[in-house]
Order: sequence, then C-alpha cells, then structure tokens
Amino acid sequence: MKSRAAVLRGVGQDWQIEEIEVDPPKTGEVIVEWKVAGLCHSDEHLVTGDMVPPEETWEMMGIEDMWPAIGGHEGAGVVAEVGPGVSSVAVGDHVSASFVPSCGKCRYCSTGRQNLCDAGAGAFLKGMITDGTSRHHMADGNGDPMLFAKLGTFANHSCVSEDQVIKVDTDLPLESVALVSCGVATGWGSATNRAAVSAGDVVVVVGIGGIGINAVQGAAMAGARKVIAVDPIEFKREKAMEFGATETFTSMEEALPSVMEMTQGMMADKVIMTPGVLYGDLMALGTQLAGKGGTIVVTGVAPMTQTESSVNLFELAMWNKEIKGTIFGSLNPRADIPRLLNLYRDGQLKLDELITNRYTLDQINDGYQAMRDGTNIRGVVVHG
Amino acid sequence: MKTKAAILWERNTPWSVEEIELDPPKAGEVLVKLSASGMCHSDEHLVTGDLAGATPEPPLIGGHEGAGVVLEVGDGVFSVQPGDHVVFGFVPACGRCPSCAEGHSNLCDMGSLTATGLQITDGTSRHHARGQDILLGIGNLGTFAHHTVVHEASCIKIDPDLPLDRACLLGCGVVTGWGSAVYAADVQPGDTVAVVGIGGIGSNAVQGAKLAGARVVAAIDPVEFKREKAMEFGATHTHSSVEEALGALGETTWDRGFDKVIMTIGVGNGDVLGQAFHLGGKRSKIVVTNIHPAAEQSIAVPAVFLTVFEKQLIGSLFGSANPRKDIPRLLELYTQGQLDLDGLVTRTYPLEDINQGYADMNDGKNIRGVLVYD
Repeated sequence: MKSRAAVLRGVGQDWQIEEIEVDPPKTGEVIVEWKVAGLCHSDEHLVTGDMVPPEETWEMMGIEDMWPAIGGHEGAGVVAEVGPGVSSVAVGDHVSASFVPSCGKCRYCSTGRQNLCDAGAGAFLKGMITDGTSRHHMADGNGDPMLFAKLGTFANHSCVSEDQVIKVDTDLPLESVALVSCGVATGWGSATNRAAVSAGDVVVVVGIGGIGINAVQGAAMAGARKVIAVDPIEFKREKAMEFGATETFTSMEEALPSVMEMTQGMMADKVIMTPGVLYGDLMALGTQLAGKGGTIVVTGVAPMTQTESSVNLFELAMWNKEIKGTIFGSLNPRADIPRLLNLYRDGQLKLDELITNRYTLDQINDGYQAMRDGTNIRGVVVHG
Repeated sequence: MKTKAAILWERNTPWSVEEIELDPPKAGEVLVKLSASGMCHSDEHLVTGDLAGATPEPPLIGGHEGAGVVLEVGDGVFSVQPGDHVVFGFVPACGRCPSCAEGHSNLCDMGSLTATGLQITDGTSRHHARGQDILLGIGNLGTFAHHTVVHEASCIKIDPDLPLDRACLLGCGVVTGWGSAVYAADVQPGDTVAVVGIGGIGSNAVQGAKLAGARVVAAIDPVEFKREKAMEFGATHTHSSVEEALGALGETTWDRGFDKVIMTIGVGNGDVLGQAFHLGGKRSKIVVTNIHPAAEQSIAVPAVFLTVFEKQLIGSLFGSANPRKDIPRLLELYTQGQLDLDGLVTRTYPLEDINQGYADMNDGKNIRGVLVYD
C-alpha cells in the first residue's frame, strides 16, 4: 500500500514529507494506521546527530546506511492488518506504540525488565525485528528507509512487529495513548520506579520538557515532600507548578543554596536528570544536589559519543551516592502503559494538559522549531 | 516532686486521677512536663488484659503517646536539654543494638523491657502513689500524667514551633498507620489498597496510602462516621464490612484483588484476618498492624494462597518506621499540609475526663481523643 511519512535524509536536515510503499505484514507483524505521533526530543537527536552512531562505527554495528530515516517513536493508532501468527491484537484494535519491544521471552522480559528486551538490539538497523528484511520502500525507488525505533510513527501507516504494539481500551483518546507510549512513562517511571521516590522525599528534577514534567508528576504522586523543578524557561517552570512542583529555579546553581536551606543541609534524596541534551558537565551540580545516600537518575539522552562527565568520585564514594541510568523509566510497557492510562482515566495523571500544540504531518518542522524555541511542553502530530 | 496522673489500680476498673510522687531523673533519664497525650487503643488493652503477659500488671500509669517540654536531665544525657520540645517514641531507640544499627529502631532491643513497667535504666520506679511504686504502661512512658520521667532513648527532639497537642500523636498512632502503608506495605503509585478498620491507626494508613500515590484506597469500617472521615483522609471507596468489600472487588480492583491489605481493627482477630486475606491479589502484601490478643494461638488464613498466589503476610510494629527519622519527617509533612493531624482529633479532654474519653472511643465517636494538660 502507499502511504506518506516524514523522512530525514541526513544530520542537520529538515523533515520532508515523502511517499512510501508499505508491504503487507509477514508472520508476527502488523500494519498500524497511526493516528497520533508525539514529537519527542529523541527524534530531534537524530536531526542534531546526538543519537546517530558515528559513520566509522557503522560497519561494527552492522549498519549499512542510516538514511533515509522515517522518524517517530511515540504513537497511537488502529491496527489495519495483521500477519500470520499474530494473537495479541486484531484488526480494528487500538494500540499504543512501544519504542522498546517486549518479546516476553528473553532473559530481561522474563525477569520483569521488559524495557531491556533483547529484541531492542537492532534499533539502528534497517529491516524488521522479525526477519531483518524491509517492508518499507521509498516510493521513488531510491532505497529502503530505516524506521526510528522500528516504529516510524511519523508515517500514516507502518508495518511493525507485534512485540511493539500494546492493545489499549477504545474509550481512551489516542492523543493520550501516544504521549504515554514514551515520554510520560519515561518521566513518570524515572521518579516512581528508578528513583523509587518514597513518601516524604525531597526530589529535584533538572530540565522540564516532555520527560521532566512527568518526572515532576510522578514524584508528586509518590508523595514527595518537595518537588523542585529546574529549568531556565519561565513557561516551563510555571507548567511544572501545575504538575505538582513545590518550588522552581532557573538553574542548578540557583537551586543549590535553597535546597541546602530547605533540607537543613541534608540535600535531596533523589535527583532526576532530564535536560534536552545531557552534557557531561551537568553532572557536577546534579550529583551535588543529592545528599548522603542520595540517588541521581540519568534519563536525558547524552550525545552518543560523549565519554566523559564531571562527577566527583570522592564524594560519590564517601557519601554513598548512586548514579543510575534508565530507559523507559525502567517500566514494563505491557504492564505500565495500561496502568498509566488507568490513572489518567481516574483523573490521577494529567495528560491533556501536557499538549501545548497540535500539528499536521506537513507542519512537523514547525513543531520541532517550537520545541527548540522552548515554547512547547509537548507537541503532537495528528495524522489527517 | 508532686504531680497528677491517671492510675489503673486493677484491670477493668476506671482510671483514677490522683496525686503522685515523682523522683528526679537518674543517669540517662529525662524529666518532662507533658503538654498532651493521645488516648490510644493500646492503653485500653491494659484495662481489658488483652495484652496480658506482654504488658505490666496494675497498678500502673497509662499512656504512651506524649509530647512536652524537658525540665531536667540526668547525668549523661546529651541528646536533649531543659527547654527542648520532645515527642516520646513509644518504642525506645537506643541507636546501638543490632536492630537500631540495621535501620529497624522500631524493634530496638530496649523495647523488650516494656513489659516490666520500670525504668529502662536500672529497673526501679520513679513514680509512687499511696505509698507504693507505680509501674508505667506501654513503652515505659506514663503519659497520662502532667509530668513523667523516661529514658533518653524515648525522647525525640522536635522544633519548638510545632503544636504539642498534635505532635503527641506522632508518638504512636500516626506513624504506625502511615508507616504501615508507606513502609510495611510499600504502597507504590498506582496501587490498590484496602485498609480494614478506620480508627486512629487506620485513618493514617489511609493518609499514607494516598500520599504514596495509591490509585484506589478502600476503607472498611462498620461505623458510618469513620467511613466519612476516611473519605476526608483520601479514601476512594468505603465498605461497611470485609464481606461487602469482597463483593466489590470487581469495581475496586477489576477482580485482581488488592495489591496491599492493611489490618487496623480495634483488636486483631484471626477469623477477620482470614476473611480479609481474600481481599489480596497475587503477590499482595497483607500487613498485620492491629494487635491480636496475646493468648490467640491460631489464625484462619488459608495458607495455600501464600504459596500459589505468593501472598505475603507481614507483621508491622510502629509502621516499621524509625522514630528518630520519621517523627520529624511526618511533622514536616504536617507543616507542609501533606499530612492531616488536625482532622484526626475529634475531641480533647483534661486529664480528669480520661474515662469519658475512653467511653467515647469505645462508642466509636472519636477518630482520636487527646488529653490536653496546659
């Protein structure tokens, strides 16, 4: 079938709307008609190159070519077609995308860590999880695209593995489902799960974008005594207060003396790092904001080739601090996407309020410009 | 010095408010002028004898939820000084025994002396009346009095700007209930939680579960007033009995059963526990906070579900909290408006009206009654 998609042809370029050809699904695959796609910062990391492996490493990683790439890894849609052997969804089902697959069978899935599913290994390779071949072709005959996270929700239709779609109830707005599929879960889980915020904790969230705002929301829901949101942009600090922050600061430098004062010198129990790009030098103040026995969660994406970060290892040891990485907020897509949607349905999780602007697929570059300008908490593409 | 105290001379008789003689504090002890004391159900257990064997026998001075101001300290006391405001932890926290050292000061080894009713330091009495030594009730504290002498390990210093008639509740009931949810049950955001029995403990388990982000908090109590109060403290559903809650599992948990069940009824009962055990789902935690009669030897729990559903039956004392960390922590939450203490106190009484206070508790009229001395 023919479809349209936002395609990136190299670092530093704009998204271009191009026609693609999508093959029928093979065994274990489904075609999803995407209704909503989130404009997540990780797609922007493709544009800036922060999340593009350097070309000299491609051969080692088995990458022939990253380009052209169809973006989009947050999404919600309707199942249009299923291949043989697909049992968890049927045509007409509403589904959430899951940028981390969950095969349910590997060592990580079977030990409650679906966010680390082995089927996520070939994320930067072209071709399907199922058999490594491509179902998507550029309509101009000029090669096959790589689908970001093997989802490509910036397409009207894409063919994905059953491992990457999660059935959701049909009464839920697909905009809400799309947001939960990556950004909300990642931020919320960074606080509730990876940082394990406990009732009465003091929590600092550094960077209030689509991830950080949900870390604020998660920390508040977990009963934090103080949720301190740090962001240079006033609009984002105001939004943070609406989502449960108790204090805001423009920078970590500004936050430091106040956190010291409000904790009687004990500093924060948990610090969650969710800036747009996690440059290594941010970690110096990030670790200082945490007190003895404190936890610093690294959620934000750092430039892929960055190998240094400024952490005082003397203090890390002497004060028994811990630095923990997380992907997808260390949640399990199949348990936690429905769980978060239940909280939304009960009015305990804000999703509608996250969306600042909606765009058509053709306006996608406007949406990313707004993200760069800091005027959106979340932008979404509503497919026509 | 002379002061006033409520003495239980014999089981199943009223508290007698009368003058007592109080000795000065010896080494390691602290003389405190009390401002307020909670009237906890556990002291009623002393009257009825439910805890016989685990508690001292009358004559004794009751009360174990106290707050006041330090008047005098004995030799070797460093953590508090005259003028300091303190809350008593009903379990002492020596800070040195294996339990304290491992972060479980609710199980401090000094707590083993609670059945003696004597001073923890040297096993003698500082309290005397009618020419004889008077023991102290739960926690070796004796807070049903205008003054008392206790061990330093029982004294938790708090900021002097906090109201003592609220802070006293942190000595037992509030932390016990709140910690039962937050620590013992480990309530997580999105959990479904059932609290069985909404008294001074259960209402705080509701508050703890809510603050920890529970999606559903079902409060179970036969008394309508308590169910209404539970909704004010954050419950999302109420039921008048465990049977009724079992019938509503579809609505509350989509028939998966609760993630956490917290038992906080007036007097623990093996049959009720057995019934409430069915409220829990797979891998649920069923926390036993309420006190069962010391003589009860069996509970009606269908043990097969411990295995096949991996249900976990967990006991909890003082909400599995640490007095020195959690009493100040919860007071901070109170100051910030994240913990309701004011709404807990239904009525206050002078020491002389203590029997009326307990009558009201037994009639289900009070969430918490508090004795106020100043």
